[in-house]
Amino acid sequence: MIKAKNRMGLIFFPAYDWAIDPSHPEREERLLYTQDQLWEEGIFDIEGIHEFKPDIATEEDVMRTHFCFPDVRTVTTESHMISAGGAIKAARIVMDGEVDKAFALVRPPGHHAMKSVHGNRGFCNINNEAIMVEYIREKYGTKKIAIVDTDCHHGDGTQDVYWHDPNILYISIHQDGRTLYPGSGHVPELGGPCARGKTINIPLPPATSDEGFLYAIDNIVLPILADFKPELIINSAGQDNHYTDPITNMNFSAQGYAILNEKLNPDIAVLEGGYSIQGALPYVNLGIVLAMAGVDYSMVREPDYNYEALRQDRNISGYIEKVADAVLDAYRNPPKDKNAVKYGDYNVRKKQIYYDTDGIRESQIESVMACKKCPGVLHIESSSSANPLSFGIEIPFGACRSCRDEGLRVFRDAKDSRKYRTIHFINRFDKEYIRV
Amino acid sequence: MYLGLDVGGTHTDAVLIDNNKIVASFKAPTDHKNLLTSINRALAEVTKSVDRSAIKRINLSTTLSTNAIVENKTEKVGVIISGGPGIDPESFRLGDFFYVIPGSIDHRGTLIKDLESAGVKAALEECAGKNVRVYSLVTKFSTRNPGEEEYLAEKVGDQADFVSLGHRLSGQLNFPRRVGTAYFNSAVWRLYNQFCDAINESLKELGIDTQVNVLKADGGTMPLSLSRELPVETILSGPAASIMGIISLCDITDDSIILDIGGTTTDIAIFASGAPLVERQGISFASVPTLVRSLLARSIGIGGDSRISVQSGKVTVGPMREGPSMAEGGPVITLVDALNYNGTISYGNTAASKKGVDEAAKKAGMKADVLVKASIEFAVGFITDQVNAMLAEINDKPVYTIHEMLENRAIVPEKVYLMGGPAQGFARYLHASFNKEVIIPREYAVANAIGAALAKPTFQVELFADTSKGQLIIPNLNIREKVAGDYTVEQAEDEARSYLVDYCKRMGIQSSVKDIEIIESSSFKMVQGYFSTGRDIRVKCQIKPGVEGGIA
Repeated sequence: MIKAKNRMGLIFFPAYDWAIDPSHPEREERLLYTQDQLWEEGIFDIEGIHEFKPDIATEEDVMRTHFCFPDVRTVTTESHMISAGGAIKAARIVMDGEVDKAFALVRPPGHHAMKSVHGNRGFCNINNEAIMVEYIREKYGTKKIAIVDTDCHHGDGTQDVYWHDPNILYISIHQDGRTLYPGSGHVPELGGPCARGKTINIPLPPATSDEGFLYAIDNIVLPILADFKPELIINSAGQDNHYTDPITNMNFSAQGYAILNEKLNPDIAVLEGGYSIQGALPYVNLGIVLAMAGVDYSMVREPDYNYEALRQDRNISGYIEKVADAVLDAYRNPPKDKNAVKYGDYNVRKKQIYYDTDGIRESQIESVMACKKCPGVLHIESSSSANPLSFGIEIPFGACRSCRDEGLRVFRDAKDSRKYRTIHFINRFDKEYIRV
Repeated sequence: MYLGLDVGGTHTDAVLIDNNKIVASFKAPTDHKNLLTSINRALAEVTKSVDRSAIKRINLSTTLSTNAIVENKTEKVGVIISGGPGIDPESFRLGDFFYVIPGSIDHRGTLIKDLESAGVKAALEECAGKNVRVYSLVTKFSTRNPGEEEYLAEKVGDQADFVSLGHRLSGQLNFPRRVGTAYFNSAVWRLYNQFCDAINESLKELGIDTQVNVLKADGGTMPLSLSRELPVETILSGPAASIMGIISLCDITDDSIILDIGGTTTDIAIFASGAPLVERQGISFASVPTLVRSLLARSIGIGGDSRISVQSGKVTVGPMREGPSMAEGGPVITLVDALNYNGTISYGNTAASKKGVDEAAKKAGMKADVLVKASIEFAVGFITDQVNAMLAEINDKPVYTIHEMLENRAIVPEKVYLMGGPAQGFARYLHASFNKEVIIPREYAVANAIGAALAKPTFQVELFADTSKGQLIIPNLNIREKVAGDYTVEQAEDEARSYLVDYCKRMGIQSSVKDIEIIESSSFKMVQGYFSTGRDIRVKCQIKPGVEGGIA
């Protein structure tokens, strides 16, 4: 019998009775063949690998993280709560020491869901990783966490949630936004004025192969992680960099994903996208599970894998080396944010957000306190084609007393103004989550 | 009249049941050197004063295959397998003639790469040279496409007296388990068949001419003739016999805990709404996981003969057993002695128990009644903890749909059913520990043989249809058919049912339609690009475990 080097928990929730719509990539069938492959391989007979049932996330878990307009129920379904709950379960079993590592193989995904939520964008409603990270911070008090997003699409949602947070390092490796949804994720996107360099984007050119991805891991991600020294590493494990993925243009393979995972050595992985459900997911997921468990994965290969056909062009390798230099330079010496506008003590930015799945347009004014002692109280004034003017206030995790008092004042004023249909108040200082 | 015979590790039990009444019963120690002697004696004794021609059926539970594997008395097997991409198949090596052949089939059952014929040839030549006469042939995803296993069987040809093909043993996905199952099946085949011949011979001599079935680990039976091809199904049927026994003896309708306390171990089983639970994939045996269906039972190292030890004031019981209790002339004090000491039971030489406990207490520097109390508390506490852990595991079983996630009903046992030799002694302690009603059935001493006698047949099929390929397959029935593009899950359910019924008729499995149930059924629309290409339909259908009648 095979014995895993790491005790590993797998939370497998394929939501076989849920789809965005019947022929949408995010449909019932998505993890069926992954399950077939994992079962046929006898994954759960490996000593040390255990399967766990997901938790169901509570409304409080979502309200701790997001401003949902008009409320949590309207913008989520049970499947979202179970998917987020799967991520929470992964965190719990790792944090409680029940396992060394955990992989939440859950759907629907979450990394395009931003701080403020009016509906579904990029197949995501609520951000599974962010809800998990906030759960971890609240229940276990973990301070420094790194999220490495290896989905092919820029994780603009996770980037938005942690834009101003100097304690959460968010690194996204993705296909260059000039060639793929959502269009963002360029090197100069480095985080808010008080969290510069804590958002890192590594845009890779189309047709990047194993070689290019692993180069980026070795030469950008690992050095930055070594410098940041997180207590916990989370992998947003999208599988759409695969050479067979129908909606992207990369040349990554199952072996590549497994090697990446071994190098990155995450404590927790959470499934994101990946829509080559027959040709990629069964092998990529198998590779990731084995790599996390510390079991030999050298024979995990797609049946149609052809090294020659996927070999990386020399020009691409050269380009990626330049990207690496630019990213490392930006991390070490982040330039001042030229777009930051200051009103009093607040840094303010205006945002237009499009929810492609639901066809909703949102306009935001986001203000964050330029605080020297904490990430700073944050508020967002938001209106959209789905909701009238609404407001969200967050006293962040680790807030100082003056930001807490400021947050309470802003909340009071917002209520008194009677301007807003909905007000969301996230008070991490007193662990209070209110919607009025 | 139904005859039930359970050849257990310690005892061989037999009962004869007529009209829900026990007409005769017999119990004797099992002769491990010669199981057949034990069986013949039990058969002769239990039927000596009845009309043997009135015996309608004999159900037999035997440890023959189990012992053969445990004692390493199996035949050498040529294991020829092919894995394709995935975990290195070398990890599943069994026996001295194990060959991994390059080639692959994917999860849809599509042949990706032919088996490398040179490798097959070399393997077979080596086996022929070493006079290997039985084979196990298994490829990954053979339940989706058995073609490569059949190709191997063709190549083996006359070189084999018997071959086990992976897909014929179970329709479930799990390549390593399929390898293990096929290995054991071939390894015990010859021995088991010799045993079947001998049984038939014995019955002839006794003048018994009736249907003979064997008990399986899932609490069901199969005809002896059929078991000749599937001997692996007869392993570890002992706990199932006891569980089916308690169903025969008690009218269980609620969630319940079943405890069978023996000499060395206690077997725990859990019932949901009166029905025994089944292992998710199959039983593990000799540390090899298999696809042999089995009732969910856990064996823990505490029984009446478990040794009581004291180490620096701490009292523990089991898991060691060093002979019987002192009440039966054993060398160390056991739980039975402790229960004898405080008068809970009165078994064997109670004076010897008393003397032994007093001496042990003196040696440990504690009061005898403290030692007795602590040891019983330890044993009962251990059993309780193990039951609760098992329940937690069952209730935390993963599910894969939102519906099941939201509707999931937790199992909350209301009663404890207790059997086995020392059952009486534990009743009041377990009642206190679980805070539930404890029931001990009257005939618990031969419950296992009763369970064997009354157990009904079981069988399971899995149907897999892919309408884009226009194919349907039921691996273990060796059925492959074409299906139309508009084939539905309802048609698949009907078909699974009717194939199961046909098969039972052909094999002489007596079952009624009401025992057949669809246990899983799903239909996924397959999409390629933006177009639907067909449906992926899966149906699991079984004859569920059950007993015929009961004991009034």
